[in-house]
Amino acid sequence: MTEAPPRPAPAAPVRDHGAHREADPHDDGVAGTGRAVGSGVLRYGGAERATGAQQYVADLPFPDAAQVAFVTLPVARARITAIDTSAALALPGVVAVLTADDLPQPVPRFGISHQDRPVIADGEVVFHGEPAAVVLAETVDQARAASRAVVVHHEPLPGVYTLEAALAPDAPLVHHPSVRPASGPAADSNVLDDAHYAWGDLEAESARADVVVENTYSFPMVTHFPIEPGGTVVVPTADGGVEVYSPVQHPYLLQRVLAKVLDLPLTKVRVLAPDPGGGFGGKQNPRYEPLMAFLALRTGRTCRLVHSLEDTFAMMRRAACRIHARTGFASDGTVLTHELRADYLIGAYADVAPRVMSKGSYVGAGPYRIPAVRIDARAVLSNTTPSTAFRGFGCPQVAWATESQMDAAARALGLSGLEIRRRNLIGRGEAFVRGECPAPSDGDWLESLEKAAALIDHDAPRPPGRGVGIAVAIKPGATSGLSQSLVRLLYDGSALAYAGTSDMGQGARTLWQQILADELGVGLDAVSVVSGDTDRVPFDLQTSASRSTVFMGNAVLAACRDIRAQVLELFAEATETPVELLGEGPGVLLTPEGELPLPEAARIALGSLRGEFVGRGTSRMRGRSAHPLGGDAAFYEFNCTAIEVEVDTDTGELLLLKHVSVSDVGTELNPLQVVSQDEGASIMGLGHSQMEQLLVGEDGVIRNLGALDYRIPTFKDVPVELVTAAVANADGPGPYGSKGISEGALLCTAGALGAAVTDAAGVVLRDLPITPERVWRALHDQTD
Amino acid sequence: MRYTSPRSADEALGLLAEHGAGAKVLAGGTDLLVALRHRTVEPAVVVDIKRVDDFDEPVRVTDDAIVVGPTATMGRLAELEEVRRRHVALVEAALTVGSVAIRNRASLVGNSCNASPGADTAPVLLALGATVTIAGPAGERTVGLDDFFLGPRRTACGPDELVTALHLPRPRPGSGSAFQRITRRRGVDLGTVSIAAVLGPDDDVALGMGAVGPRPLVARTRLGDHESTAAAVEHLVAAATPIDDVRAGSDYRRAMLRVLARRALDTAARRRDEEAA
Amino acid sequence: MTTFAATGPSPDHEDPAVTVSTTVNGEHRTMSVPAHRTLLEALRDQLALTGSKTCCAEGECGACTVILDGHPVTSCLVLAVEAEGREVTTVEGLAPQPGELSDLQEEFLAAGAVQCGFCIPGQVVAAECLLRANPTPSTAEIREGMSGNLCRCASYERIVCAVHATAERRAGA
Repeated sequence: MTEAPPRPAPAAPVRDHGAHREADPHDDGVAGTGRAVGSGVLRYGGAERATGAQQYVADLPFPDAAQVAFVTLPVARARITAIDTSAALALPGVVAVLTADDLPQPVPRFGISHQDRPVIADGEVVFHGEPAAVVLAETVDQARAASRAVVVHHEPLPGVYTLEAALAPDAPLVHHPSVRPASGPAADSNVLDDAHYAWGDLEAESARADVVVENTYSFPMVTHFPIEPGGTVVVPTADGGVEVYSPVQHPYLLQRVLAKVLDLPLTKVRVLAPDPGGGFGGKQNPRYEPLMAFLALRTGRTCRLVHSLEDTFAMMRRAACRIHARTGFASDGTVLTHELRADYLIGAYADVAPRVMSKGSYVGAGPYRIPAVRIDARAVLSNTTPSTAFRGFGCPQVAWATESQMDAAARALGLSGLEIRRRNLIGRGEAFVRGECPAPSDGDWLESLEKAAALIDHDAPRPPGRGVGIAVAIKPGATSGLSQSLVRLLYDGSALAYAGTSDMGQGARTLWQQILADELGVGLDAVSVVSGDTDRVPFDLQTSASRSTVFMGNAVLAACRDIRAQVLELFAEATETPVELLGEGPGVLLTPEGELPLPEAARIALGSLRGEFVGRGTSRMRGRSAHPLGGDAAFYEFNCTAIEVEVDTDTGELLLLKHVSVSDVGTELNPLQVVSQDEGASIMGLGHSQMEQLLVGEDGVIRNLGALDYRIPTFKDVPVELVTAAVANADGPGPYGSKGISEGALLCTAGALGAAVTDAAGVVLRDLPITPERVWRALHDQTD
Repeated sequence: MRYTSPRSADEALGLLAEHGAGAKVLAGGTDLLVALRHRTVEPAVVVDIKRVDDFDEPVRVTDDAIVVGPTATMGRLAELEEVRRRHVALVEAALTVGSVAIRNRASLVGNSCNASPGADTAPVLLALGATVTIAGPAGERTVGLDDFFLGPRRTACGPDELVTALHLPRPRPGSGSAFQRITRRRGVDLGTVSIAAVLGPDDDVALGMGAVGPRPLVARTRLGDHESTAAAVEHLVAAATPIDDVRAGSDYRRAMLRVLARRALDTAARRRDEEAA
Repeated sequence: MTTFAATGPSPDHEDPAVTVSTTVNGEHRTMSVPAHRTLLEALRDQLALTGSKTCCAEGECGACTVILDGHPVTSCLVLAVEAEGREVTTVEGLAPQPGELSDLQEEFLAAGAVQCGFCIPGQVVAAECLLRANPTPSTAEIREGMSGNLCRCASYERIVCAVHATAERRAGA
């Protein structure tokens, strides 16, 4: 799919990337000189994106495809009593209408943590927007017209749309008994899963506490809002299989799920994943691909479905969360105890939401040295859009509460937000999660805190109405993983990397290109990267949790080094040089006559028969079944964010004067891409902190469906000054000491903003987003 | 749906007369196309008036008034020197409507005919005492904008009629105006509350208000008739009946009315004084 | 059993098709579209110019921005039939030659503005129009002028850098 097409020559390989970035420690490198890594190499595939040539799924031509439209109901939960398709079938261009009755019985279900999601609504729709039937017609207009003509007889059923309703003793149960676990909390309640972490002696430590702060916080339901809504095309193949085009982050997971649901071998399910136009976690897991595959196999037609932005609101969202926190401190600000109850409001199907809950709450105590902690978290089902992975996973939710608690205590003790964090932040190697499976810090996190404090000029006096807030947070990286890569060094010195990572904007392919350039001694322009095709590219578990730099990065690196070893061996044989006289290094073969560029050594080794070298690399991290997360995190993303804000106390409006984000990145493999990711995550964090929230009505229907009333940050919402910086101590497990970096900058945005607003205006907000109306209301309540 | 592109106002009126409620006028299309997408309107005929060549020129400036034709865009209007000189608040309001790309399409008259309760330009047009010329089978009539807005998405313009011009009377010497609004974010947004104040030489005030009632509102008073500016503001905003919706609560809207009214009045007064100086 | 309809392929929609002649990226093009078809849909489906993207489809995101008679517009809010006799420039028409980049497109890459890339064609078109109207914009003017173009990767600061760099380059040219 994504083999390199001819690319226009970039203006220059490296450029100054703006005034607002702290200087990075790396020199700018030049292609082919062995210093591509660490320099701001321009994005692989960037030129196609800038000219409009890049083809996303909706841009791919399928001239013979029939078009798909969903039939949905105007309610959140209903029993389907009958579906009358006759009027729809009589309309021009209609090919077929498919309902649950047309599928194998019982209707197959699939899922990540639970096999609970039916291919199509089976007797009942359980959230607003879930298709009750699907129409196939020659054109989009015809499909939509026919979808309106399908009559779905249904009885609305009571649903639960809030934590209160879902947890009520007599709440209707979201999960059908047939898919509900027989044991555990979900057997007779809407609590699908729970997690508990505890260490230390709460009673004893509580007795020592001089100050105890206890509050309840809320984090809204927010949606991914990728600018590419996405879609799926399924082509039935002559051998009874399917080719599936879907911009997914995990092509191999989709392949596995489809093979199982369709009862086909993996070889008959080919997933071609065009680059997602933004993923953010929303495009990880299968949703309607199985339905599309059945439709294609039943009709023998290529079936094409392109989603609207509104559709995505019914497909993906972040779990909302309510967090109750009780935290005890000694008079010097030392935190002694932290008790957290976090209820994540997940949707009508599990997706990965239980994992979001357990992994997010795992770091609920933050990167602090706390002697006694108790965390109880639950994933609570509701009749709403199934929640899924979203940049930061479940961490921003608990960080909002924990960071706000730190500031509440700081105020009570007369300390600054900076000082209380200085006193409690964990040092390298110390465990911030204690107990049987301790989690030690893998970075110099105080350095990030101090850097951010300096950049925001934390202790500077500020005029009335202005305030500053500083916050920190961590997120566990992947706890297991498998990435496999192939690299081919061709006779003419060009090279191909086969790496299954989805490039959804983070720029993964650029990194593979850089690694190949340095390790094989080839020019950047001589490197192509192939991804997005399960028939051509070896296995990669998934593109998530900021894992790719570490996992696929190491696999690509290993494949390059495999090639170097092969070149050495063959060169020895071809030139009859004793192996022990040869050596290899990045981009070179060391011979008795001196260094030889690796491509030249390869040519000599291959000789007149030509051919190529094929290197293999695998990066495998097995989990640990005894670990509550199924394994230790490969690394932690740590971020410190500091915000300076001015509050208009008449209207509640905020003016963000300065926003500082400092991430612990290990090594900046591509500083330009690190900046892009850090700035992007910072602003995305401001989205859920300031303006984003899905408003669900009492009927379970989203009230602000679409771009007009669901507001995400624009150019004008960027803080007056946005500064990102990195701490780079080469202490990560990835290539050259790198860590994953794509999520850090949004983990604690809310905490920093909340503290800044309190500092500026004297009011404390515990519900996100911090809208002008909420700030005004807090000020208003205060003066009443 | 059929598309028509009449070349004359008479031809356009003929189409409207023929199709009645089944016809929709298309000027900038920024409201109509959204409605078509959501199927909240399903016209049999769309009457695109952008190729009508016997309308008055898009914007005509006379000593007494600025006459805005039905196809003049927000963007064009906000660029015109004479509009900027006479009607600062209108320019401020027009520049909050959508993005640059939207303002290159959206027509001021079309936006008024759409009669959204929250239309950002409506408060200032009301406060400026704008009138519209409505052409129909029985000829032309002139209606004050305050009588034109009837309710949400309802105006005095009948299905067989067409608004052919909007007249902005020249402000009296010694007047000042200002526009203020609250939004949920800083970038392109619909106003949670919008306010326009026009302050005349005798301290007579017209306050236009958007998104605080079923239609844009205007209230008038004379500052001297009240004990204080705050009392005058109370009097002016009394007609507002804000509701709770996805954008804000009614109490917030009511409070913001007062804050914005006060700010708009202060700015209008400052501008009036600056002009006098 | 899947229920099959008796009818085969048939014309697009009950709306009659209208022939529209327009100039797109300097070339005369003729399209046959029903009246309800937007310019965005026609560019993508009829002319295979898929650089203009569909996201919100109601003028809120700017991903479909094109230049119509010299002015940027959201092509999702323009009927294709309205383009009769008009001049349209899409992102595909900005580079001097196919396979090349305009100075602005180069600066987008150099600034790190291109992440997932889906909004970028609209951003490039909007930024080009901004620079034509205001060759030396301030940061505030860029943020104001571009605020109709959403980027969920939030490359906003990168794009501001790219616009500044292009302005400097053009001033020096």
